Amino acid sequence: MPVLELLMKYEIAIFLLVLAGLVAIKILTGEINTSGLLFGRISARKKGQDQYFSPERVQLLLFSVGAGFYYLTLVLNNSNPGTFPDIPQTWPGLLGGSNAIYLGGKAYARWLAK
Amino acid sequence: METLTLLAGYLVCGLVGILGVFILWKIADGSIDLSRLISEPNGDASLSRFQFLVFTFVIALSLFLVIVSVKPATFPNIPGTVLSLLGISGSSYLISKGIQFSDPAGVADRSTDIVISPATAIVRYGQSQQFKAEVPRKPGSTVKWQVIAGIGTVSAMGLYTAPAASPAGTTQPQHATIQVTSDEFPDASDLAVVTLA
Repeated sequence: MPVLELLMKYEIAIFLLVLAGLVAIKILTGEINTSGLLFGRISARKKGQDQYFSPERVQLLLFSVGAGFYYLTLVLNNSNPGTFPDIPQTWPGLLGGSNAIYLGGKAYARWLAK
Repeated sequence: METLTLLAGYLVCGLVGILGVFILWKIADGSIDLSRLISEPNGDASLSRFQFLVFTFVIALSLFLVIVSVKPATFPNIPGTVLSLLGISGSSYLISKGIQFSDPAGVADRSTDIVISPATAIVRYGQSQQFKAEVPRKPGSTVKWQVIAGIGTVSAMGLYTAPAASPAGTTQPQHATIQVTSDEFPDASDLAVVTLA
């Protein structure tokens, strides 16, 4: 049974890591489309002139990637095996705020901006 | 009984492994197309989809690490704060889609146009001019370059090279028309006109 357990462990670990690696490589090489990731579109403007650089997307991108890596480091350094490490109470508020800024910018560009 | 359980375990492990390798192989060779994994229907990449992707990988890797850190492996409790983070990300995604779908332009697929730049150029004899082509629907996709009228040559990378000298006996300005065609969308093409000086 220990051999089977070990086999399954490695199987899942390799699958997850290779999948994450493939997605990361495809994003970095442009095979996964990332055009316009940091740009919004203003609905009221005509095509070709509607795209604008969006700082609210930049902050959400940094926050999402930062929060992801931070949580992985918490899991790797978890002193209490078998449990998910808890995160500071302020994090949901921060992530909520970051998402609210992004959504606010998107809604403004879609409905109000000229 | 124990032998049978073990045998079934190995069988399931083998099948899951084969399925996993098959999926990864198909993703790697492009048969499973992930090019629009984080794209909106109109072709723009979506940050809320990207955030969802990052969090999904983080939670999947974390779940795996947490489960294998104890023996026997057990499914752990997920803290409320982690669930609330995922809830915020999911809600943000849904609201973002609501905003996106409130306008037909946010849903309509982007055309399969190809745009060449510059559209016109003046090139001296013996000199070169680099042209670029953009396929908004699928950035980075391969294109084909050719000179369809006039003189000069164009490389596979879009570098137009004029002949060393004007053809003998010509007094009028010479022109060349360069065509770029998308390999992905063969019906999409654009032209640039070169005036030789």
